[in-house]
Amino acid sequence: MILKTKLSKLELRNPTILASGILCNGPLLKRAAEGGAGAVVTKTVTKEIREGYSTPILIGVEGGLINAVGLANPGYENYIVEDLPIAKEGKVPVVVSAGGSTSQEFREICIRAEEAGAKAVELNLSCPHVKKHGLQLGGDPTIVKEIVKDLKGALKIPVFTKLGLSDNIGTSAMAAQEAGTDAIVAINAIKSMAIDVDARKPILSYGYGGLSGPAIHPVAVRCVHELRQKLTVPIVGCGGVTDWRTAVEFLIAGASAVQLGSAIAIRGIGVFKEIEEGIKNYLKSNGFKSLKEIIGCMDR
Amino acid sequence: MPSRPSSAGKDTLTFDSFVFAPAKIKRIVTESPKVKSFYLEYRGKTPRPGQFFMAWLPGQEEVPMSVSDFGEGFIRISVANEGQTTANFHKLTNGKKLFLRGPFGNGFSFDAKSFLIVGGGYGAAPLIYAAKNIIRSRGKCVYLIGAKNKSELLFVKEARKLGVKVEIATEDGSAGYQGPATELMEIILKKEKFGSVITCGPERMMYKVVSLSVKRGIKIQASLERYMKCGFGVCGSCVLDPIGLRVCSDGPVFDGAILLKTEFGKRKRVASGAKVKI
Repeated sequence: MILKTKLSKLELRNPTILASGILCNGPLLKRAAEGGAGAVVTKTVTKEIREGYSTPILIGVEGGLINAVGLANPGYENYIVEDLPIAKEGKVPVVVSAGGSTSQEFREICIRAEEAGAKAVELNLSCPHVKKHGLQLGGDPTIVKEIVKDLKGALKIPVFTKLGLSDNIGTSAMAAQEAGTDAIVAINAIKSMAIDVDARKPILSYGYGGLSGPAIHPVAVRCVHELRQKLTVPIVGCGGVTDWRTAVEFLIAGASAVQLGSAIAIRGIGVFKEIEEGIKNYLKSNGFKSLKEIIGCMDR
Repeated sequence: MPSRPSSAGKDTLTFDSFVFAPAKIKRIVTESPKVKSFYLEYRGKTPRPGQFFMAWLPGQEEVPMSVSDFGEGFIRISVANEGQTTANFHKLTNGKKLFLRGPFGNGFSFDAKSFLIVGGGYGAAPLIYAAKNIIRSRGKCVYLIGAKNKSELLFVKEARKLGVKVEIATEDGSAGYQGPATELMEIILKKEKFGSVITCGPERMMYKVVSLSVKRGIKIQASLERYMKCGFGVCGSCVLDPIGLRVCSDGPVFDGAILLKTEFGKRKRVASGAKVKI
């Protein structure tokens, strides 16, 4: 059974990808690769060192997790020196997630990542809980176009654009495609809030956070399906993948691969292998010979 | 007793496992000038010795807290006043609430008949609960506790009450052996044989305890402390480089021989993920 899939030039042994911001550090990215991931995405790295928000930064809710980590990272240079080499020992493509507030910052980080051996970069234009970063950029198609265009001229490796839920997700994705992005990743965690009724206070120190996990899966599938109708570039589905079934749903909707993160909290690092096996069995029992046959099959 | 698997990655976990629940303070005991024990109302899963809870005071940070005792309707955590958050814990009074999630982590395994327990400072918290467990399952143990001075020794009376032999080391000689706990440990190991050593305390002390035990071929488990952001294996903050063990969910209790393959005792990560020397 062939589970290989392609995101532009990047070939993956299977369609499961560790999402950014989960496990985060080099040695744990390596473990995710050993746990079966087809590729791993780093913690979003920024130009400056960021401590992130104080705890609590991650909480459980019905059907998922809410996080407001605050883009904590040791700065891209530090990460590239300390963590990237170990992550690469996992022998699957390492995608460096970059965060910034200007084109210049994205360019600086991505060029360095390419030099250091990243197989692709992912632009975090979707983090819902840091001002002047993430979603505040990704929700504006003009800014998306400017950042992607600037990078495409400077890099040889593929550029993935990770977008979040906003009214503009379709137009931002189109803008990224026009600027030359090699794939769209959709979606990031959705801006949300949880209040402790006993304490009568928000649980996360930041107040708001990003909801991930099964609760957002149907929303993410809808986004991927809509984007598939508009776009020609590959799409990576992200949101609520916890088993083969939720992964296959994305593939049928038109995603060429899936990202997952929250599932690790409940199923452990071996979840990638479990999903890979599950997809294999699904393809076999439905008479398919390769993964490609089901990507976007519903609308063919 | 069989060794216990890690709590991470088991099918029984759901996202509800990571929700805070309020726990009313039933009783507060001052253990030392720096440490207070909080008896909290608790009717959840029985925690294994070495497991911990994330304890949160709304408006403050949440911090990992080892269980120092457990019984019908309560758990006990023993909090050292070490920073702003724990200082605020110390201001709490009976009837007030702390918010808990857990128990998290793997806990000690008790697959030997005799144990040497080596504690330093407030590292004694999970060890006294471990000692209780060992005694209840008819094992033998020695409780070696080290501290700066006599007033900071923890759980000495409690250990004696359990029927455990207590050995004391203080830096200033105000009680027991004068010198570090690891020196006294060497003296004891020359006289007596143990099936296993378990330790918790300052990392440099534990590094020594682990090295000494591994050198002598004694099974050793150490319970580690690291900066944790989530407590359940997702954020990666508490990773042990370079092999990628998460203190919160692969630990906090680790086999000493494995620890010696990591940066244990040498470097750790801070909130940003950057590494600093220990």
